Amino acid sequence: MAVAQAPIQEKKQYLNAIRDALDEELALNPNLICMGEDIGMLGGAFGVTEGLQAKYGADRVMDMPISEGAIVGTAVGAALNGKTVMVEMQFIDFISCGFDQIVNTLATYHYRTAGEVSMPIVIRGPAGAYGGGALYHSQMNEAWFCNAPGLKVVVPSTPSDAKGLLTSALRDPNPVLFYEIKELYRKREIEEFIPEGHIVPLGKGAIRLQGKDVTLVSYGQNVYHCLQAATTLAEQGISAEVIDIRTLIPLDEELIFESLKKTSRIVVVNEAPMTCGFAGEILARVSEKAFDLLDAPPARVTRLDTPVPWVKPLELFVLPSVEKVVQAALQVVNY
Amino acid sequence: MASRTIQAPPTQSFESSDIPDQRHDSTNRTASDFLTKEDRLEMFRQLYLARYFDVRLIKEKKRGRLRGTLYSSHNQEAIIVGALFGLSPDDWISPIHRDMAAFYLKDARQGWRNSSRMGMTIQQVCAQVWGKVDSPGRARDNWSHIGSREKHIIHSTSMLAGTIPVAAGVVLADRLNGKNTVCLTFNGEGSTSQGIFHESINFAAIHKLPVITIIENNQWAYGTPVSLECPVPNVADRAKGYGIPGLVADGQDVFDVYDKVMAAVNHAREGRGPSIVECKTFRAYGHGDHDDDRANKYRPHDEVEKGRQRDPIAIMKQKLLELGDIDQKQASSYPAEGKSASDATNQDFPPEIVQYLDEGIQFALESQLPDAAEGGMWVFADSESK
Repeated sequence: MAVAQAPIQEKKQYLNAIRDALDEELALNPNLICMGEDIGMLGGAFGVTEGLQAKYGADRVMDMPISEGAIVGTAVGAALNGKTVMVEMQFIDFISCGFDQIVNTLATYHYRTAGEVSMPIVIRGPAGAYGGGALYHSQMNEAWFCNAPGLKVVVPSTPSDAKGLLTSALRDPNPVLFYEIKELYRKREIEEFIPEGHIVPLGKGAIRLQGKDVTLVSYGQNVYHCLQAATTLAEQGISAEVIDIRTLIPLDEELIFESLKKTSRIVVVNEAPMTCGFAGEILARVSEKAFDLLDAPPARVTRLDTPVPWVKPLELFVLPSVEKVVQAALQVVNY
Repeated sequence: MASRTIQAPPTQSFESSDIPDQRHDSTNRTASDFLTKEDRLEMFRQLYLARYFDVRLIKEKKRGRLRGTLYSSHNQEAIIVGALFGLSPDDWISPIHRDMAAFYLKDARQGWRNSSRMGMTIQQVCAQVWGKVDSPGRARDNWSHIGSREKHIIHSTSMLAGTIPVAAGVVLADRLNGKNTVCLTFNGEGSTSQGIFHESINFAAIHKLPVITIIENNQWAYGTPVSLECPVPNVADRAKGYGIPGLVADGQDVFDVYDKVMAAVNHAREGRGPSIVECKTFRAYGHGDHDDDRANKYRPHDEVEKGRQRDPIAIMKQKLLELGDIDQKQASSYPAEGKSASDATNQDFPPEIVQYLDEGIQFALESQLPDAAEGGMWVFADSESK
């Protein structure tokens, strides 16, 4: 007689963690439907939804025409009529084609109906530079949506956060924009075991490294630049604390302020352009609400105010790097 | 400047096999031939109500009692009345700015004062126009920007054609849940130039979704004539690109609108997909009341004269006379037709219509403004992220 064996748990890649979250929610929530370009038969450009249409049917995992506006608008209608919808953007760069539906129809729905209608919709897709994707396959355009009240904005940096945050997002009554870092999708170094039923609440940051001299605040793949910079700084006797905010809207300000009570110094790192980027928002809130905690002017390391160029030397020139973070941290510490 | 006049609807350019069957039986009778006398008289009352609502609000605005812009539906009322009359209670609608009547006429056959019908009460609509807290949207957005999930009315926005995909999603969800509803979306001809118009109808056509796109072609998109908006003779001709029927109705004739919309509704309910129904009409005044004076300059006088010659109330009266539903005395009792808002008085309308709207306006006047602090509420659906 066969003896039931405990399943051997595997380490999960970032991409597989996302698929697991979708798979589990599709099984759990019969009202959840998925819409996107090539997500059904092909399983998505990156394979995130591979196997889901075969498992749940073409009614629940729909291949959509290349019409981001219609995809988002249809999701809004389905949500108005009781569905929960996951929308995949093939690349987050293409989200601009659905911009009007997101900011004018979707983001405002709960507000303009005085709470009559909530919009349980998650719009997720691959984002971020450093891979040679050039101008239209490299963007981090999260700041556009942070400026449109009514949207939550999430950027996970680890497989377990990707799983736990996406699960929360799919259960949230609000529209959530979920930025997946495509450079992390299959990165072996960050694979990890994820406990069953793992959930990460939206709006809670995480301390990735404890430190006492300077706080490095980031999200997405720049968290890894910060962790490497912390190693370099440690060699120079400087102890950096690294915070991964994970959710931009709503922002876990308290975690940052608590860290500043120890370090009194802050550098914020994001790969989006500088002007009106989210790093600037964090520094504005620190300046307004935690000015007394600061011993040095705050700093930010961002992309230059340029598009993301294609070939490697050009791309790296405009983006944040470990060296740029170290330099900024030294400047703040030595002020 | 281009000068266009309203004509009787041109001959259908579609292959006959592509057009929804407009006959109701083998005798070639159409949907309106099956209306009872009571139905027709109810439509007549609804037409008067829509006109009176418009006339009265323009007067109220002139008295300084209203805030914001009025988008008059004067001369276009037959489209709303004719399009809505044959819907089932559970069907959905998606009105826009010139369709205020749609909110209170939806499912009005169940009784105008019946608040459990699948439409809004006149009180709710008036509270919205007056910007009061008893508006369905608690006066958070203006004019026609209201809706009701419960009553199956999609909330409108200012983004033209922007609710067509929402309509597609609504009926998609109904289909997934095994319900055979349809959704009527109302749009101006100008909105057909938007990318989302194409994207949404393309998607709806692929999946044969029961979305009926009604185009109120009033010849002017704000200050631009349709000749500079659309390269084909009928906006409905765009339907060919999606392989769906494009019907043209005389928007001044409530029965022709009813026939064409019901043909599209039946087509959709049989699972044969979306249609475009273009209703030819003419905008009586400016784009909004702020535009009335300028519209007198940018639109040729003779075009406006011609466009307003075919008043839908006059056309309906003539038909009811021919059918013997009313006699000559009744036809001349309430001569609202052909009169501008400034010329019309309460005596031009049946007293029951005036009284009905009085009730709505009285309610709106007595309703309160929302608390100022509500301006900061309901950004998110959960409290921790206010």
